[in-house]
Amino acid sequence: MTNEYMPFLSQIKEIIKHTDTEYTFCMTYKGEVKPGQFFEISIPKYGEAPISVSGIGEDHVDLTIRKVGKVTNEIFENQVGKSLFMRGPYGNGFLPEDYEGKELIVVAGGTGVSPVRGVIDYFGKHREDVKSLQVIVGFKSRKEILFKEDLKRWKDQMDLTVTVDASEEPGYKTGLVTKYIPDLVFENKKDAAIIVVGPPVMMKFAVAEFKKLDIEDENIWISQERKMCCGLGKCGHCRMGDTYICLDGPVFNYTEGKKLFD
Amino acid sequence: MDINTKKVKKNAYRVSKVRGITASRVRVPGGACNADVLMQVAEIAKEFGNGKVHLTTRQGFEIEGISYEDMDRVNEKLQPIIENLGINQEIPGAGYSASGTRNVSACIGNRVCPFGNYDTASFAKRIEEAIFPNDLHFKVALTGCANDCIKARMHDFGIIGMTVPQYDPSRCVACGACVKGCDKLSVNVLRLENYKVVRNEEKCVGCGVCVTKCPTRAFTRSDKKYYRLTIMGRTGKRNPRLGEDFMVWVDEDTIVKVILNTYKFVKEYIDPNAPGGKEHVGYIIDRVGFHEFKKWALDGVELLPETIVKDNVYWSGIHYR
Amino acid sequence: MGYLLRQGAASQLLEKWKEEYDVYAPKVYPGTGCYSDTDVVRYGIIDSWDEIVWDKKSDYSFKEALLPISDTIMYFTENSTKIPDEGKSPLIFLRSCELHALKRLDEIYLHNGPEDYYYKRIRERAKFILMGCDQSFESCFCVSMGTNTCDQHDGYIHMEDDALYLELKDEELQVYLNDLETDQADREHQYVKENADKVQIPDSLPEDIATHEVWKEYAGRCIGCGRCNFVCPTCTCFSMQDIFYKDNENVGERRRVWASCQVDGYSDIAGGISFRKDQGERMRYKVLHKVHNYKNRFGHTMCVGCGRCENICPEYISYIACLDKLTRIGKEEA
Repeated sequence: MTNEYMPFLSQIKEIIKHTDTEYTFCMTYKGEVKPGQFFEISIPKYGEAPISVSGIGEDHVDLTIRKVGKVTNEIFENQVGKSLFMRGPYGNGFLPEDYEGKELIVVAGGTGVSPVRGVIDYFGKHREDVKSLQVIVGFKSRKEILFKEDLKRWKDQMDLTVTVDASEEPGYKTGLVTKYIPDLVFENKKDAAIIVVGPPVMMKFAVAEFKKLDIEDENIWISQERKMCCGLGKCGHCRMGDTYICLDGPVFNYTEGKKLFD
Repeated sequence: MDINTKKVKKNAYRVSKVRGITASRVRVPGGACNADVLMQVAEIAKEFGNGKVHLTTRQGFEIEGISYEDMDRVNEKLQPIIENLGINQEIPGAGYSASGTRNVSACIGNRVCPFGNYDTASFAKRIEEAIFPNDLHFKVALTGCANDCIKARMHDFGIIGMTVPQYDPSRCVACGACVKGCDKLSVNVLRLENYKVVRNEEKCVGCGVCVTKCPTRAFTRSDKKYYRLTIMGRTGKRNPRLGEDFMVWVDEDTIVKVILNTYKFVKEYIDPNAPGGKEHVGYIIDRVGFHEFKKWALDGVELLPETIVKDNVYWSGIHYR
Repeated sequence: MGYLLRQGAASQLLEKWKEEYDVYAPKVYPGTGCYSDTDVVRYGIIDSWDEIVWDKKSDYSFKEALLPISDTIMYFTENSTKIPDEGKSPLIFLRSCELHALKRLDEIYLHNGPEDYYYKRIRERAKFILMGCDQSFESCFCVSMGTNTCDQHDGYIHMEDDALYLELKDEELQVYLNDLETDQADREHQYVKENADKVQIPDSLPEDIATHEVWKEYAGRCIGCGRCNFVCPTCTCFSMQDIFYKDNENVGERRRVWASCQVDGYSDIAGGISFRKDQGERMRYKVLHKVHNYKNRFGHTMCVGCGRCENICPEYISYIACLDKLTRIGKEEA
């Protein structure tokens, strides 16, 4: 009988520091994993935290971690350069085939960029697999911008808009991501595939913008972040109605996603 | 009209401001009586009084407007009440005896109140049995918890119910209800450490709020019931003040012994020239000193190991004289 | 077909069982109630038959015999992780409604996602003996929920004046009857045929039930203590806790501890975001799970009608009254 709670040890290969509080940890990992899935990262005696996969390589996964609590503080302060315990991956993740041949649009806010980074990267490299690729990513302030190196690369690969909420910053658009949704270009809205990921409020308003543009529910995907404590459908914290986010999500087509209620 | 006012008073009647008219004082120890007592009081009030009954501050009834000549007949009617309430009586049929030691009063306690840490009325009756009848001026009150709704601290002996919270960490879910409760309703001596509750035992007042708040029975009450015994609170003209802690985490037996010992102390030291033979115990201690009182109070008392007895007690209050 | 065991044989049987099993049954924990001089009836390991409480509903359910309130799942030392050893197998005396609740625990711990290692290893070894119910207690509504009878038990037991009537379906348990002085007997199982409370579960609810105004009153009434969840035999939520020991920081443990969707912090996520801050919303989350959401997922109602949540609520919030309201809403909709 396997003990799903038992974590395995993974070496930290590399650390990319985006901001003072947000680092990407490149962790050794061999196995199947999809963007949008998540791992439970832990430091024994400190606890576990659900972290979504922000990048996938042959022998590693990237995990972008924000320093916001007991576990992540400990990871930043004491574990840098060593190893971490992990279990997973959990959840369904994004399936590239859902978006192939479509006019792909990704709208992401803050750490919501993490789960879609793999999707953006994949189609950035395989542009021929999608009809068009438009990406809007937004951050609260210049200091909070993540994945700066990726943003540089993406700029050449796709139609990229990077926004900063409140202040005017050279090289960035000002305002919330929702402000730039009406500027998106569609050839045929029936062929659109739209991914929206970010804080709950941002997702709500971004989806509303797309609905104003008469985008069908089935053309929209969202990823729901909830308190995913066990990742195994047991602890109950991530349940929304009939749905366990850790098992059935976190990625939902909006036909299902719109029914989710906290 | 020839009335011995001293005898009248010792028979629990009042010399009132209206000539020829007295009032009968019916003590109800612990403030707990059944409805029959109310009916019997009502009957006396209608038959011998002016139909009015005052609810006294010390949990008795004062039946107003009784003629002095009806005292014997009223005493006869009081007999079923006295028996019903289990009052110590020197001569059956002769009414309540003594009025120096006041009714032992109590809040409703754990018969009804969720915060009450013990059955206040039962303990009040136990004290009643031990100290009555008695002419010496003592006031004793019992309250179920540290909220002190009966204002026990304004009494010569104030008895405040306590419990030692028993904590079973294996039943604790770290919901924080006890910590919040202790902070909002009591003295804020609980905190969460490593998802379990740590209690500052020195500062805990044993109120039991944590026990009432706990949803999983991680916090429960101690088997033993404990009390805080405060002494020598008082109202009055000279130096009204709140009673100070004398003993903490003390048991029922010790309290009864300490009170009885204090009667002996008063008999020894009371001013023989005190008006009406009454000198409040608090003033006697003011004269004689706390340590002398303590020596008498603890005579023959076997304390629980956990009982804290104060080395010194300092009272404050307002000094008008 | 069963057996009558009189005093001597009954205590011999229990002694033999105790060697092999932790025998759990509802028993009195004197003076441990919230209020002074009040008792609690809950599941604990018994020493003698006399301890079993037959004439009252237990305040807390059987679930803590399988899922301890605070359950250590790993011990950490400097460089190793150890899984706690298994204890004795549990032999649990419980009521029919609770055996139905067991099915709900199984659903989550064995069938919703991968099997739960810790639950499975104790569940596989656990035995369940059905206690006959010769009366319906306050707020029981097992008949409405169809949980008043069951067949998933390893044995059946009830008390008679001078003997204990026992049926054992489980072969491992039967062995213990060998060499004991028993009389064969055939008694009808005691079970509740009617409850004072009759409850209807709404067949269908309007799509916007989650935002219906029916939930609003609970915002001001519920104090979020979580008692309703903790006493519920079907609530299974837990939180993970990691700690290091105060006297040696290199050593520690990971445990899972019961959680309540009514208590603050249940839905908090990183970045200071929390969902359902309002107690009315939490009430809705809980009640709809019991009679609606769970059913959509697993095909049967979660609530087993034990009524404990109703009995324990310090604010007298009636779950039954809430279900009545939902049923009315469902009918109005139809």
